[in-house]
Amino acid sequence: MIVIKDQRLRNIIRVAVPFIIIPTVTILGSIAFDRKKHIIISLAVAALSLLLFAAGFEKKNTGTRRMVIIAVMTALCFAGRFIPFLKPISALTIISGMYLGGEAGFLVGALSALLSNFYFGQGPWTAFQMLAWGMIGLFAGILSVPLRKYRTVLIIYGAAAGIAYSMIMDIWTVLWYAEGFKADLYLAALGTALPYTASYVVSNILFLSLLAKPFGEKLGRIKIKYGV
Amino acid sequence: MRNFSELNPIAVSIYFFCVTGIAMFSSYPPFMAAAISGGILFFIARNGRKHIRSHFFFLILFIILAAANPLMSHNGVTVLFVMNDNPITLESLLYGLNSAAMIVGVLYWFRSFTQIMTSEKLLYITGALSPKLSLVISMALRYVPLFKNQSKKIKDSQTAMGLFSDDNIIDDIRGRMRIFSILITWALENGITTADSMAARGYGICRRTQMKRFSFRKGDILLLLSALTLTGITVAALGTGKLEFKFYPAVKYSTPDIYGIFGIIAYITLVLLPSIIEMEVGLKWKYLQLKI
Repeated sequence: MIVIKDQRLRNIIRVAVPFIIIPTVTILGSIAFDRKKHIIISLAVAALSLLLFAAGFEKKNTGTRRMVIIAVMTALCFAGRFIPFLKPISALTIISGMYLGGEAGFLVGALSALLSNFYFGQGPWTAFQMLAWGMIGLFAGILSVPLRKYRTVLIIYGAAAGIAYSMIMDIWTVLWYAEGFKADLYLAALGTALPYTASYVVSNILFLSLLAKPFGEKLGRIKIKYGV
Repeated sequence: MRNFSELNPIAVSIYFFCVTGIAMFSSYPPFMAAAISGGILFFIARNGRKHIRSHFFFLILFIILAAANPLMSHNGVTVLFVMNDNPITLESLLYGLNSAAMIVGVLYWFRSFTQIMTSEKLLYITGALSPKLSLVISMALRYVPLFKNQSKKIKDSQTAMGLFSDDNIIDDIRGRMRIFSILITWALENGITTADSMAARGYGICRRTQMKRFSFRKGDILLLLSALTLTGITVAALGTGKLEFKFYPAVKYSTPDIYGIFGIIAYITLVLLPSIIEMEVGLKWKYLQLKI
């Protein structure tokens, strides 16, 4: 962030936000507000984690080439969202996380949610979508070694990511509608979302099995050709 | 004299977050009514009679959301009628109406927000927050049409070479996958070339500049100050605890005192602000044209 110039202050913020401020917001929020206002806490936490990430990215000395590749992947995700029924966005996010690292995965997921929502409609859910897709990419980066090595692990991760995305977004739906978490409403929401969940899972598995290996080869080729 | 959409993006987005924030986080029925009617009014003031279909969609959504709660939740003491051995209560019906008004109202506001916040304005805001992120966003936005064009070119040349057949579905998918794969290779190489070219021209030496400059002028400061003041009054009124409305077990509300009334007036003014600006600008235009 451009506002904070001081190196030490930035480091303090980087440590303080995840370990002090987010838990404090969660705990204080649940004490201060009654069950009705849990939506405030969840939105605040989502916004804080996104801000933290932006700050960390700004600080790091990312090469120009890396940044451009992240932009390319984001644009591919954006373009892929126009395909009817099948959504390659999670699969492409996972691939970015696998081969370019967790941070790149987070950025690709979060930014493609933000940008494509300019077409599909922004809303308070944008923060949640950004966080959900970002986390999918981040964990793909953390698990990159087994994901690259074993194909079954990759397929399982893709299916799990599809289900997890649907579950996270349904938490948001219930919080928004009912002001407070109600288990029966949540189950009902999961039930109505079943076709979408199925389509996420199917498209993740399909695109991962089709794209993951060629993508690795292509990125490897680029690395050899240009020496990234 | 500028339209609401031409004001400084930072002021406009703070305004939007104030309006939708209060609507989302307070469940006080008068506020919900103000939010949904203000949202519809502003959407119509901007778009006129266009987008009939989205009004229709929002109406259906409203009905579904309002009906969902009494069917799912059977709290409340006033039973209206019994359906399939489940009591439908007045309280849960009112609660459903309130939630539906909140959701549809916020959706209307965000619809207008999406129309106003073009990608250029987004870049202005993210540029103030983080220039690097802003660069990635602007490049990604530029790549989308570029990739569309390129994939059409690839498809044409594949068809010309006789490699693309869409006789059956498997061949079709295979062909599309090949196009996509070629596109990715091209996009990655093109990206690297772009990056090298950027580095050669001195990217990263100083701050990124903007094509269009948004400055804080009198109107922007006025909008920002009035939005923050009105939000402050509303939140303070909510904080006094007099603006309470309980649905369960029976509808219970206290008549608002003088602070509460001030809060309600403040929120209504806040909600009407952009519609007033639009109308004022429209009238001024008409007046100036009459003079000519």
